[in-house]
Amino acid sequence: MNAPASPNPPPRIDAHLHVFAKASAEFPREVSDHLPAEREAPVERFLERMGSHDIDGAVLVQIGGTSLQHHAYLLHCLRQHPERFLGIGLVPPRCEDASGHMDRLVEASDGRIIGVRLGALGGPADPFDAVDVRQLPVYPIWEHAAKKDLVIWLYPRAVDAHVIPHLFEAFPQVRVVFNHLMVCPGPKFWWDDKGRPQADVPMPPETRYSTMGLKIGRILYNTRGHYPYPNVCVKLSGHYAFSKQPYPYEDLVGWQQSLRMVFGCERLMWATDFPWIDVDPGYDKLVGLPQRTFADLTAHETEQLMGRTAAQFLRFPAFRDSSGWLTPP
Amino acid sequence: MSSPTSEQWRQWREEGVVPLPDALTGASLATVQQSFDAAAEKARPAWLEAVAAGTLPAAFFDIPQPLAQDPLFFDLVDHAGWYGHLRAFTDERVTFIQPQFRTVPPSPLSYVGWHYDVPRHNPLHLKVQIYLDDVSRDEGAFAYVPGSHLADSGPYPLVGDLAAMPGHHVYGGRAGSAVLFNSYGLHTSMVNRSRRPRRSIILIYEVGTAATFDPRVYAGFDDRCVTPERRQLFRLEPRPEPVVTAV
Repeated sequence: MNAPASPNPPPRIDAHLHVFAKASAEFPREVSDHLPAEREAPVERFLERMGSHDIDGAVLVQIGGTSLQHHAYLLHCLRQHPERFLGIGLVPPRCEDASGHMDRLVEASDGRIIGVRLGALGGPADPFDAVDVRQLPVYPIWEHAAKKDLVIWLYPRAVDAHVIPHLFEAFPQVRVVFNHLMVCPGPKFWWDDKGRPQADVPMPPETRYSTMGLKIGRILYNTRGHYPYPNVCVKLSGHYAFSKQPYPYEDLVGWQQSLRMVFGCERLMWATDFPWIDVDPGYDKLVGLPQRTFADLTAHETEQLMGRTAAQFLRFPAFRDSSGWLTPP
Repeated sequence: MSSPTSEQWRQWREEGVVPLPDALTGASLATVQQSFDAAAEKARPAWLEAVAAGTLPAAFFDIPQPLAQDPLFFDLVDHAGWYGHLRAFTDERVTFIQPQFRTVPPSPLSYVGWHYDVPRHNPLHLKVQIYLDDVSRDEGAFAYVPGSHLADSGPYPLVGDLAAMPGHHVYGGRAGSAVLFNSYGLHTSMVNRSRRPRRSIILIYEVGTAATFDPRVYAGFDDRCVTPERRQLFRLEPRPEPVVTAV
């Protein structure tokens, strides 16, 4: 295994993946057609992938239920490998005590659950309706994230895309990681015969006009601007779910170039979304995807994208050192 | 028919942008506003479905196929309030590319950043944006960097805040005001921080060339194009090549 390096070389961090055990009394979780009780993606398998590809750390994202009990396997993995992993939890829908639930997740993980993942935001479906963020059902979650310096792991639905800048404006201090190429998928979700989630979305996403707000198009270098919200990062992940092509997903290169121009690699994070990619195209292919996507990636950009951004922005304790990795980009 | 003043010629050449205050007024403006609302209302349910599906943007609402929605809209393309300027600025070679009948809801983020529409090797490309609401600088007004259409202009910085672009000017105006601009220049829509949507009509033109001549695009409006000028404007017939005088 690769012990986290300090102070050099720079860490390599997989910023988004899922591990889950077979459903059991020890590790209860929700079951479904795509996550039957006997399906598993154990942490040991992921540790093998890390070892084979010199990955130093990772962000484990909860799957299989939102209750504290459903987080049992995530908590187990975080306790077993505190130097390697940070976690992202889930909040039950219509939770009446979201702040209490978030506190319990943080406490149960000794602070290694650093935030929560949000899908539905519950805003008005009509973009012409006024948005009052205090009326949103997720407002208490954002408010508590601001109070406790927790991270919002954002994977909103298309219908909520126009609500997002209102939340960014209301909570500029909250660190946000936009999931999966900043895509806000519509309702067309399904699972393919390789057990991978799929989303039918146009790429580049039409929701970009609400979430990114910068011109992209015929003139690549016409994507002229920087993102106005400095506490927002984007993960380059989820390609398999949105691309209409096999690896290396060339139909997504243009959109990723735009993300790179707008955010810079100081605010982009590489992630695999393991285990969904473990068979097709395979973990090794995902490790090499940034170089395939950006032929002109500099050494500095590669370091940022492959782990330094995540180490800094998510404040991985294992990578704290005197070299400034925890200095915000 | 409108005609550029000497000051407007200077603005066009030096700044790349020409404000046309009160290009539409009175009953004409009111009728356009009412027709716009009627067409928008008809199209809104389908748009809302597409927004939820992620197949159309929520950040602006364009009336689909607007010229087919009302004969009045078709006549805006060569409206006297701006058409004379377009003809003058293109040496009588203007052709119509497409319309955008656009409503922009309030949002802390503009749907578009500072950008050019076409590269400089593209034939001259022009737009006319007509406000259907009173628009102040914080209500999604059009903004342009005067002089940025010139080949030797810039470089311009990348900014996170639209208002931080050096040298930019925001072109607010009363309902019925228009702005005509050269699309080689840097422009944007400022943030609409108001509580109301901003309605405008954007008409896109280009100097006629063989590349854009396409009689299929507006073939459905053939019966409305009875003059040679209109047939060439709507690309049903090619613009004659400019006469080159041998010296």
